[in-house]
Amino acid sequence: MTNAFLYALAGSGLFVLGLHALVMHAHVLRKILAINVMGSGVFLILVALARRSGETTTDPVPHAMVITGIVVAVSATALALALMLKLAEKSGQAVLPDKHGD
Amino acid sequence: MSSLLAIDWGVIAILLPLAGGTACVLWPALSKPAGLISVTGVVLAIAGLGWRIMENGIYRHAVGGWGAPLGIDLFADGLSLIMLIMTALVGLGISFYARRYFSPRDAVRFWPIWLFLLAALNALFLSADIFNLYVTLEMTGLAAVALTALTGRIDALGGAMRYLLATLLGSLAYLLGVALLYHDAGSVDIATLAQRIQPNAAVWTALGLMSAGLALKTALFPLSFWLPPAHASAPAPVSALLSALVVKASFYILLRLWLELFGDFAQGASMLLGLLGAAAILWGSLQALRQTRIKLLVAYSTVAQIGYLFLIYPLASAGNGIAAGMAAYLAFSHALAKSAMFLAAGNLMLFGGHDRIADLDRAVQRLPLTVAAFALAGVSIMGLPPSSGFVGKWLLLDAAMSQGRWDLAVVMIIGGLLAAGYIFKVLGYAFTQAEVPHDARAVPAGMEWAALLLAIGAILLGFMASEIFALIAVDLVVNADEAGTVWTA
Amino acid sequence: MLQWAFDTMLGFGLLWLAWRALNSSDLFKAIVLFIAFGLLMALAWVRLNAPDVALAEAAIGAGLTGALLLAALARLGAMTDQNVSGASAYPVPSAQPPAGSHFSRGLLILLLSASVAGMAYAIWSLPSYATGLSMDVAAHLDDSGVGNPVTAVLLNFRGYDTMLEMMVLLLAVLGVWSLGGLQQQPEKPVAAVLETLSRFLTPVFILAAAYLLWVGADAPGGAFQAGSVLGAAGVLLLLSGWRPRVRLMQWPLRLALTAGAGAFILLGLLTLLLEKQFLTYPVAQAGRMILLLESLATVSIAVTLAILFLSVSSGHKEKSGKGEKK
Repeated sequence: MTNAFLYALAGSGLFVLGLHALVMHAHVLRKILAINVMGSGVFLILVALARRSGETTTDPVPHAMVITGIVVAVSATALALALMLKLAEKSGQAVLPDKHGD
Repeated sequence: MSSLLAIDWGVIAILLPLAGGTACVLWPALSKPAGLISVTGVVLAIAGLGWRIMENGIYRHAVGGWGAPLGIDLFADGLSLIMLIMTALVGLGISFYARRYFSPRDAVRFWPIWLFLLAALNALFLSADIFNLYVTLEMTGLAAVALTALTGRIDALGGAMRYLLATLLGSLAYLLGVALLYHDAGSVDIATLAQRIQPNAAVWTALGLMSAGLALKTALFPLSFWLPPAHASAPAPVSALLSALVVKASFYILLRLWLELFGDFAQGASMLLGLLGAAAILWGSLQALRQTRIKLLVAYSTVAQIGYLFLIYPLASAGNGIAAGMAAYLAFSHALAKSAMFLAAGNLMLFGGHDRIADLDRAVQRLPLTVAAFALAGVSIMGLPPSSGFVGKWLLLDAAMSQGRWDLAVVMIIGGLLAAGYIFKVLGYAFTQAEVPHDARAVPAGMEWAALLLAIGAILLGFMASEIFALIAVDLVVNADEAGTVWTA
Repeated sequence: MLQWAFDTMLGFGLLWLAWRALNSSDLFKAIVLFIAFGLLMALAWVRLNAPDVALAEAAIGAGLTGALLLAALARLGAMTDQNVSGASAYPVPSAQPPAGSHFSRGLLILLLSASVAGMAYAIWSLPSYATGLSMDVAAHLDDSGVGNPVTAVLLNFRGYDTMLEMMVLLLAVLGVWSLGGLQQQPEKPVAAVLETLSRFLTPVFILAAAYLLWVGADAPGGAFQAGSVLGAAGVLLLLSGWRPRVRLMQWPLRLALTAGAGAFILLGLLTLLLEKQFLTYPVAQAGRMILLLESLATVSIAVTLAILFLSVSSGHKEKSGKGEKK
């Protein structure tokens, strides 16, 4: 047992905390925060478990994947925020409208 | 000739739309010609790739020259090829529709994003690497959301927002599965994983997370809540792209994972996917029947038709080749029919300024080609002969009955009857006169023909089932012959 | 033992901060807590021997995402102040919306607890020693053209991922642009201290970015870290009221935006023609090619991030160049 597992477990905790907030909160900004926390959880699992190769050598492939993931996350966050602002400008609210059609 | 065969058409099919999209950013005024040239080029590249696969068997290209598992491999077998052909042909039809549909101001926005979406789809169907698939999946999702919000109307913005959150959640669940598989087996290459993974706790968790995430992105009932608002509020060509192609992308990844990695030990989970598929058919069809607007009706019909795709999982015991063939065939058939339907709905909206079904006001006399497109596409969606919808659903029905799954067979038949109900509802109003006559606007002939040609494609595909299955089978033969050499190629 | 205690505390600290950020009643506080969470994440990356990720997280994950979130919140506040009908949207009075009965909330918590237990068991059951692909990377590092294994993976072994990632960044800008601009806000006067600070810090940031880019070949750093530091300099300039001239918003901007993506596409075509292999660099040239790719990517990443910030903060509209106001 190394602290690799400890961080990986924290990562799965973050994933679930984020999921909970994503489902429970109505405000879009909170949902965006929740998605980001979930992403951090996934990244933490990815990098923490790469630590199992020992103290001296670390597997660089998950590191590169997480850097890719961080950049994708900031792109998605920017698009989500712009969409939220546009929605708020049109509807006066930053909450998801009720589904139409049913 | 052989020099043409040596060209790496798979890479071209990815690079060309990327270059086209980048060119649109640099020279916005040239967006439309750059878009049409790129899309036509992609059709030719996919034709070249198909030819290459028929001659040489499975296509594999080690990007960067490293080869899996260190590098990323591009890979195409019959299943990938059929998805690529579907994307190229349906994309071409929708592009020619979009050529006339968008105002110059909107065209500048539409074309670069659509070209990046096309590149993402091609890259996705060509990828043999589950992390690379994640990147293509995100690219697909962001492009699809940006296109959904294109009109800037409040319902489109709401639909796009919901869609974005759903698609990001789905990608993250998938990525967590990728993380677990990588740390379990030390690779993200599908073929390497297939050799290494054993059913253990990590693999089962990855299976659950990836399936749930991809089912959410494919809008499998009950995770389909985001689809109707997004698909109904987008501009018509975008709705067609979303329903015909984008949902197929995540479906394809799930199918690929199942065929290569999970299928051997996850029979129970297959049953669950099949049950959800059956529920989707019933729920989606009933909802479609209740709608008063054409685009929402067609969107709910997509929810139902996605259900058919998931019936393949419990019926896959006939063998991977047959399951892959049925899935590819059904997906292709639905893509043609549904894109035709959304484009026809777009014509009706342009014509009357609304999409209320009860107010169609003798559209059949004034837009005969459009109504014909809707009717022909409807024949395929209902599953009447000789359409591709009939052949695809007949194959499924046959598999269900030969395996004694009468419950699934009954659901399929009820689904067909309900589909007939909602399609005749639209057609019926297209023949009757509305109480209040409307001023009608002219619809460009090119847009009518684009819808009709896609619908005719859905019928013609009905005569090509053996070719589709041959493509998948040839591939398996080649695979067996050259099992050793494929890897070094 | 001390390390163990530190890691445990850090793990719980992350969970606690995330919980507070996601459930604090005030949105501003939530975002500040989220930024603190990002900084703590950077510390975790250092502990996990991932300095490259730590740099990226500090610059992008905490820094730029935080700036984006704060800018968006400010816009949202201004917007809903004007709009009386939307007064209820901000601030949200209670963190928990009334939606959902006790039963469904209980069910949700039960489901989530089960899934965290399942995930924890799955992680726990993984073998405690695994090398992943580290051996393969080490074996081919000499042929990659760079000495930093993470850079080698990002730009060479899995350079194709990075190529698509540049497209994702470009796509984000296109998506934001296609939404059209927001209504213009009257620009607030900038505090003199911020202006002085940004004058002083901008050259420092540019130097830091250049250093990170150069050193990334053999030490922690690289295009993404350098690009985000450069982007942060841009954000700081934008915050201090600087706006690019309209002329700059056209061609030069578009060229800078697409430089990274364009370089990847051209290199991809070139390698396909010359080497018959997509994105395969000749070993002797690999180092130079990667440096070229990284330099152009750095410019594109910086410009992309600055544009994204500008769009969210001041409603920059494509083409119109309305942002120009000084």
